[in-house]
Amino acid sequence: MIRFNHVTKTYKGSTVALKDVTVDIKRGEFVFIVGPSGSGKTTFLRLVTKEEVAEAGEVWVAGKEVGSLAPWKVPYLRRNIGCVFQDFRLLPTRSVYENVAFALEVIGRPRHVVRTQVPQILKLVGLETKMDRLPGELSAGEQQRVAVARAFVNRPLILLADEPTGNLDPATTGGIMRLLERINEYGTTVVMATHDRQIVDTMRRRVIEMAQGSVVRDQVRGVYGMVDA
Amino acid sequence: MSSAYLLRETGGNLVRNIVMTVAAVVTMAVSLSALGGVLIMRQAINKATVQWQGGVQLAIFMNANASGQEIRAIGDELHAMVPQEIQKYWWVDKERAYAEFKQMFAGEPAFIKVMSVGQMPPSYRVVPARAQNVAQLAGQFDNQPGVHNVGYPQQAINQMLSHFSTLRTVALVLAAGVMVGAIALIINTIQLAIFSRRREVAVMKLVGATNWFIRVPFMLEGLAHGLAGACAAFMLTYFSRGTIASFVGSDSLNFGAPLYVSPHEAVFTGVFILIVGMLVGMVGSAFAVKRFLAV
Ligand SMILES: Nc1ncnc2c1ncn2[C@@H]1O[C@H](COP(=O)(O)OP(=O)(O)OP(=O)(O)O)[C@@H](O)[C@H]1O
Ligand SMILES: [Mg+2]
Repeated sequence: MIRFNHVTKTYKGSTVALKDVTVDIKRGEFVFIVGPSGSGKTTFLRLVTKEEVAEAGEVWVAGKEVGSLAPWKVPYLRRNIGCVFQDFRLLPTRSVYENVAFALEVIGRPRHVVRTQVPQILKLVGLETKMDRLPGELSAGEQQRVAVARAFVNRPLILLADEPTGNLDPATTGGIMRLLERINEYGTTVVMATHDRQIVDTMRRRVIEMAQGSVVRDQVRGVYGMVDA
Repeated sequence: MSSAYLLRETGGNLVRNIVMTVAAVVTMAVSLSALGGVLIMRQAINKATVQWQGGVQLAIFMNANASGQEIRAIGDELHAMVPQEIQKYWWVDKERAYAEFKQMFAGEPAFIKVMSVGQMPPSYRVVPARAQNVAQLAGQFDNQPGVHNVGYPQQAINQMLSHFSTLRTVALVLAAGVMVGAIALIINTIQLAIFSRRREVAVMKLVGATNWFIRVPFMLEGLAHGLAGACAAFMLTYFSRGTIASFVGSDSLNFGAPLYVSPHEAVFTGVFILIVGMLVGMVGSAFAVKRFLAV
């Protein structure tokens, strides 16, 4: 589903964010990416969505080499990928329902699809009673659920999560993780960058550890790591 | 892309930056009005000069109450000058003059109603044998009994054209200058709209909205500016077409009648203005979108 083949990424200012990274993530996997700050986790995810482009190596996503993908095809690539971030990135002036519906409307889904899909997905994340609230009227955990609903409403092949629990307390974190597991059970490949040792250690999923832009560990049922980060 | 979506997004953008929107639309209207003014003046001139085409270079207007004897005297004098000095001439009586008048002011019934056949000045239309003789012929007939005046178009037309050319230069410079301002305002307004919607734009890119889907509402906003400015300019030039036409000069050729542009000719100009306005709005917003909306 996602394959990095000797990928190197250097930002302007000659920061080497990824160095010769080779990784293969299969359909339906649940993968944690761990590593200290600045080790290249976010860069890894941004290469998958072609928000950044590698200058060496190949990035294969859903059977396509992303680096050589024509610009007009990039939106269609992204329709297969849901994204969740630490800071939620919801639209503050739109209701919960509208935030999720927006993601379908702007890729041209017909209205009847929007009207059936959105309540369904909001039920999945447990927000069916708060559809008309604004994001500001929700707790952080609830806001992240809206963001997950938005990322998943189009049933993407891949869900990328960049420290989705970074702003949440442990109890709320558990809820979000159960949600992501649920989404993974539907067949969606989940890749999550995190600093949360406890999640990684309790869930025992595949762990890719990065340091200074390189993959230093890739374990099938891994733990967070030996050292404190 | 549903029309409801476009309407909502474009409308929302327009209202959000109401001050900038108004500024952009007003400058656009001023510029296009100047452009429209030039076109109206040109139409008026074409109309005023059209009856002098076909070789007639001199019209001897008789007084409306000139006696038959006075009219015959002029006719005899003209007759004696054919063919050495005059190639041909003919008589336009009150009825013919009235018919010409009606034709020229078709579409303005109120205007026609106040004039009657009896008030129309009859005239001799003269085609001189040599164009250089026009001035001399005019002088010869000007002071004869029963003659009201001699229409001497070449000179008057030249004068009108030179007057028009000055006005046109001034108006076109004004139109171009203000147009630059209007375009700058449109670009700036679109830039603001893009900025105030950067969150939405970021989400759209994230979930895979196509570039055109993201761009179109902003481009429609520019189109709306152009269209609104053009509509205002259309109304302005349409309803003040008489005043604008009279800037070029009152028409000494047609018994002092004002220069005149018919409603449907003004509409023709208006449509041109609308097209220019929409094009400028589209191009301005396309530029802003290309420049400020990295997709
Ligand atoms: N847009 C950018 N321009 C220049 N350098 C960048 C940019 N984004 C990231 N970097 C650099 O690339 C390196 C990797 O950054 P990245 O954001 O991928 O790390 P990370 O593992 O996600 O860190 P964190 O855990 O703090 O989120 C860092 O040295 C960072 O400073
Ligand atoms: Mg990061």
